[in-house]
Amino acid sequence: MRFSAILRFTDPAARGKSRIVKRLNAWRETRELFLLDLAYLAVVTPVLLLVKLPMLLFLLLVLVLLLARKRGSVATLLFVALAGLFAIFFSIYGAFNFAGLSRLKLFVELILYLLLLAVSLQRLTRTINFYLLVSPVLLLALSLFFFDSIAMLVYVVFEVFVLLWLILAYRTRADALSSLRVTGMLFALSLPWVVLLFFFFPRISFEHASYGFRGDEITRTGHDGTMRMDGAALLVPSERIVMEVGFQNAMPPDGQLYFRGSVLYRDKKDHWEPLPSYVRRAFAPKQNAQAGMYRSADEVTAYKVSLYPTHKKWLYLLDLPIEAPEGATINADFETTLEKPVNEPQHYDAGSALVYRYGDRTERSVLAYARDVNRSANPRSAKAADTIAAANPDPKQRLDALLRFFRDQNLTYSLRPEPLDLNHTADSFLFDKRKGYCVHFAGSFVTLSRLAGLPARVVTGYKADRKNSVKNYLAVKERDAHAWAEVYLSDHWQRIETTAAAAFIDSESAELLRQTGTLEDNGERLTRLNLYLLYVKYQVETWVLQYSHFRQMRLLENVKQHPALAAKLAAAFALIVLASAALFLWLRRPRCKDKLLCLLRPLLTRLQRSGFEREEGETLHRLFARYLETYPGSTLTEVDRLYHRLQYGTAHEDAVQFKKAIRAFLRESPAKGDSDARKL
Amino acid sequence: MNETLAPEFRPIVDAVEAHLLGKRHAISLTLAAFFAGGHVLLEDIPGVGKTTLAKTFANVMGLDFGRVQFTGDLLPSDILGVSYFDQESGKFVLKKGPIFTQFLLADEINRSMPKTQSALLEAMEEHHVTIDGISHPLKEPFFVIATQNPHEEVGTFALPHSQLDRFLCSFGIGYPDKEAERAVLLGGGSRAAAAVPLIDAAAINTAMEAVRTVHLSPALIDYLQSLIAYTRDSGRFVYGLSTRGALALAAMTRAWAHLHGRDYAVPDDVQAVLGEVCLHRLAFKEGVTTLNRIRHELFSHVPADA
Repeated sequence: MRFSAILRFTDPAARGKSRIVKRLNAWRETRELFLLDLAYLAVVTPVLLLVKLPMLLFLLLVLVLLLARKRGSVATLLFVALAGLFAIFFSIYGAFNFAGLSRLKLFVELILYLLLLAVSLQRLTRTINFYLLVSPVLLLALSLFFFDSIAMLVYVVFEVFVLLWLILAYRTRADALSSLRVTGMLFALSLPWVVLLFFFFPRISFEHASYGFRGDEITRTGHDGTMRMDGAALLVPSERIVMEVGFQNAMPPDGQLYFRGSVLYRDKKDHWEPLPSYVRRAFAPKQNAQAGMYRSADEVTAYKVSLYPTHKKWLYLLDLPIEAPEGATINADFETTLEKPVNEPQHYDAGSALVYRYGDRTERSVLAYARDVNRSANPRSAKAADTIAAANPDPKQRLDALLRFFRDQNLTYSLRPEPLDLNHTADSFLFDKRKGYCVHFAGSFVTLSRLAGLPARVVTGYKADRKNSVKNYLAVKERDAHAWAEVYLSDHWQRIETTAAAAFIDSESAELLRQTGTLEDNGERLTRLNLYLLYVKYQVETWVLQYSHFRQMRLLENVKQHPALAAKLAAAFALIVLASAALFLWLRRPRCKDKLLCLLRPLLTRLQRSGFEREEGETLHRLFARYLETYPGSTLTEVDRLYHRLQYGTAHEDAVQFKKAIRAFLRESPAKGDSDARKL
Repeated sequence: MNETLAPEFRPIVDAVEAHLLGKRHAISLTLAAFFAGGHVLLEDIPGVGKTTLAKTFANVMGLDFGRVQFTGDLLPSDILGVSYFDQESGKFVLKKGPIFTQFLLADEINRSMPKTQSALLEAMEEHHVTIDGISHPLKEPFFVIATQNPHEEVGTFALPHSQLDRFLCSFGIGYPDKEAERAVLLGGGSRAAAAVPLIDAAAINTAMEAVRTVHLSPALIDYLQSLIAYTRDSGRFVYGLSTRGALALAAMTRAWAHLHGRDYAVPDDVQAVLGEVCLHRLAFKEGVTTLNRIRHELFSHVPADA
């Protein structure tokens, strides 16, 4: 006894133990701080994108103090508190009045700043309290007020995962990997709940709060309702997406993807204008596509549009829209407009007849506008038009002749044309410069055909490109803004793709088009990948982010009315529950250090069931031997032999034989188990 | 998997057993230790057959047999020998001691002085002796069975831990069971019939070589290491197994596997020899250290095939 006491006293390991314990405790303390820092790192990262410069500087100051391992003395804390208050003051300086506080966004921002300040002060003291533990979740919740994007959606899932992981690591003191596994298990278990709550938890609509889509508030170019003929109209083709279209069925061919914006009648030299409002008012009643304009209802193409804020009142629908989306109207020229400009993303369902014939009810006054032309402005064009008109009394032939003439002018498509002489636009384009883009082609052709006595007008909008499509999803970009012509021929309006008359495309424009990726030879795969990403983004936006209170109500209504839908949803939910359970079980699966022992596991279970449990310290061989004493001649002999050869022997055989032997034993043993049961 | 003795070794064990009834395990262990190139410490009371085991074993193996009875006044030179000046030849001549043999029975080793003990142990370790600065190699194979009486304390010098470590394994023979004892009483375990050599030097060399090349698979090494780690880290023992102890365990495991006709070792081999390898190397912090307690402690805390 005394000996062991002396031994313990002199044992250097035992003496060192108290030091180790001390160090371990210290490490635990710093470990908790470290875990907390990780949590803050995760939640503060998106917040950094929000806060203004003074606050950023303040956070930087706190970071420097933390890295310098400065303990929060009273003086330091006072200094930091003052710095924080100044930072907050300067951050919201511009909006610094109490009226501004009634704006939710500003209010939330202020709370965010105050929380950051409080957290910084507490963290500098290096002691952990309840508020410091709770604040990461608060910060996460606050940042949700500012973001509404897929990136943030993904990041929030990541954040929740990380926070859960850290909480587990913090509470259980388990090592990082095992707590990661438990986190995964909890996540798997939560999956059905998340889905359930997503669909049925009451939604709060923030429509009246004055914060919107950051970055979407910039005024967009593209189609804007007039058509400028001077060079300022188009600088660089923009890749920005104007709208995304999801077709219910197959996507129509390229030649039919004309999204109608506005219809322009009046040539104002440097730009074209729609009809004056007093004339347009006379167009009432408003008109929808009616039976007779298209062949049958079967041919109507149904699609869904997500239009990003344009700050204009147009909605873009394919030629020829059947019905106006809710809240919009369609006029006689099939322009679809809203009362108010589109300042928030619009999501609407639409139907269009792509093969149509319309215009027999066009009013005379409108046709008069479509004939109106100033002959003196373009004398050379007038002369050419007269010649063509004289040679072709039939309007249809006259149109063909006009197109031929247009094509024969050897016009060049150029995104950077020399400026035209805006007093004689058509002449300047057709006979002198011969370079331009869609607006010049459309404008000049309309002038020419009016000179030849055919009523014509310019239509602007978007001509989508199937290259920007995946499956039934189509992205329409600003670069797709387009102008074309409509000619009134035998009582209906006919679309003329005037740009198709271009004989050449200049190298610079070709280069520009290439850079922005519409031409074939630009990294096709990358473009496709990008498109697929856009497609996924569109689907997520449509089905997750835009899942509003309204949609929720509509879904519930539908479920009530259609039992089939309810059954489908229930089945889908059951699948999710199954997937979640499978994931959970997969994560919970026992870890096998050893492959052979893994293979043996069912066999051992079987042995255990028939009363042969492994005793303490018993080797497998002895266990097997015990069994074989009771059941001599069992195939277990073979399992025993192979196991030991494979596990301990030199022969590098494969495990196939071993697996077979195990299976043979499993096949053989249940009968024995049954007989045992009968004996009992 | 084989767990019976290989045919070439069965006659040897049988022959020794004929003289030492019912002590198959002790005989097999001795054989294993011999093939592993180590030495055995027999710890038991007098009269259970320690000497019989040693003598018969030496005979059956065809080894020269030497015996030293250790007493309190035994000097190193009594074991090693002396060199004296031969006046006739005018040279120093070595008079070899009893250690110049192949099989040495060191009876009651703990009765002699530490100096004498260490002379023997040095020879056991290095297989040569140094007399007057000249090194003399011993005959190969060189095998020592030392015995000590655990219950006598007066006038003994307990072997220190570091010396004990040089024995590959240690065990007792124990009383024979009823059957065997009856046979002995009836004149069975006949001391009359002298054992004849059943194996020659070449076969011994082959077997020793084969023992060295028995395969220890990674899984088995894992098991060995967990056992060793348990002795060191569990806090149940005064000190854990040394690296020499670990090597001894591996060597005995290999020898046991070879005795049973396998060229690879399995956990059962480890378990068969573990207690005997550890008995003189480990001491429980609390309570008595016995073979069975060591076995139980290690087997139940370090699962095999896991």
